[in-house]
Amino acid sequence: MKILFFGRLGDMVGRETHVEVPPETRTVADLRQLLAQLHPAASEDLSRPSLRACVNDLIVGENYVVADSETVEFFPPLSGG
Amino acid sequence: MRHSTCLASDRFDPALELSTFLGQLSDEGGIVSFVGVARPTTRGGSPVERLFLDHHPRLTGRSLEEVAGAAGDRFDVSALRVVHRFGEVAPGEAIVFVAAASAHRRAAFEAADYVMDRLKTDAVFWKREDAVDGSHWIEPTDSDRAERARWSE
Repeated sequence: MKILFFGRLGDMVGRETHVEVPPETRTVADLRQLLAQLHPAASEDLSRPSLRACVNDLIVGENYVVADSETVEFFPPLSGG
Repeated sequence: MRHSTCLASDRFDPALELSTFLGQLSDEGGIVSFVGVARPTTRGGSPVERLFLDHHPRLTGRSLEEVAGAAGDRFDVSALRVVHRFGEVAPGEAIVFVAAASAHRRAAFEAADYVMDRLKTDAVFWKREDAVDGSHWIEPTDSDRAERARWSE
């Protein structure tokens, strides 16, 4: 599965990563846990409630079931202006 | 209401933006413009080397359009222009430009104010300040969220 990280997480983990997703990893919440295990230095950031997941350009909730063919993007809090 | 937005990769001249905006108006009586400039020091006083604005290839431009369109729906303005930088921005360079025009001044002031408050929390950017003593990612403050909430009712 393709994962993109933006902002601070992009600096910590890199913009793009590919992960092999085991069958028990079904939802966004599961995916966060998996990514936190793979990237211990970023685990605190990955577990923050303010971090949002985005699939097909739409923000999705923690229970969203991700397909292996989808790209999941993670957005820390926005800061423009 | 006419509105246009620009996601700018390079530095732009706010004075030129304003003069172009003014040149496109007809009989508006009130024009308000705002320029946000990259500060030379952090909140702690350290010199800033650059700002870096991370952005999303599709959603950032879309968010500028959404904010500008919402301002047009909400206030009685006839023209609106929003320019926002992305990538590396040097201290002293403009990050954001907003201009609003209306028959009377109040709507133009409010529309520009609204656009800036929304950009702080809703525009799809992630801002990093690279200072001489290190880099840190900026997140909306409680005050930014409170300013944004003024428009929620």
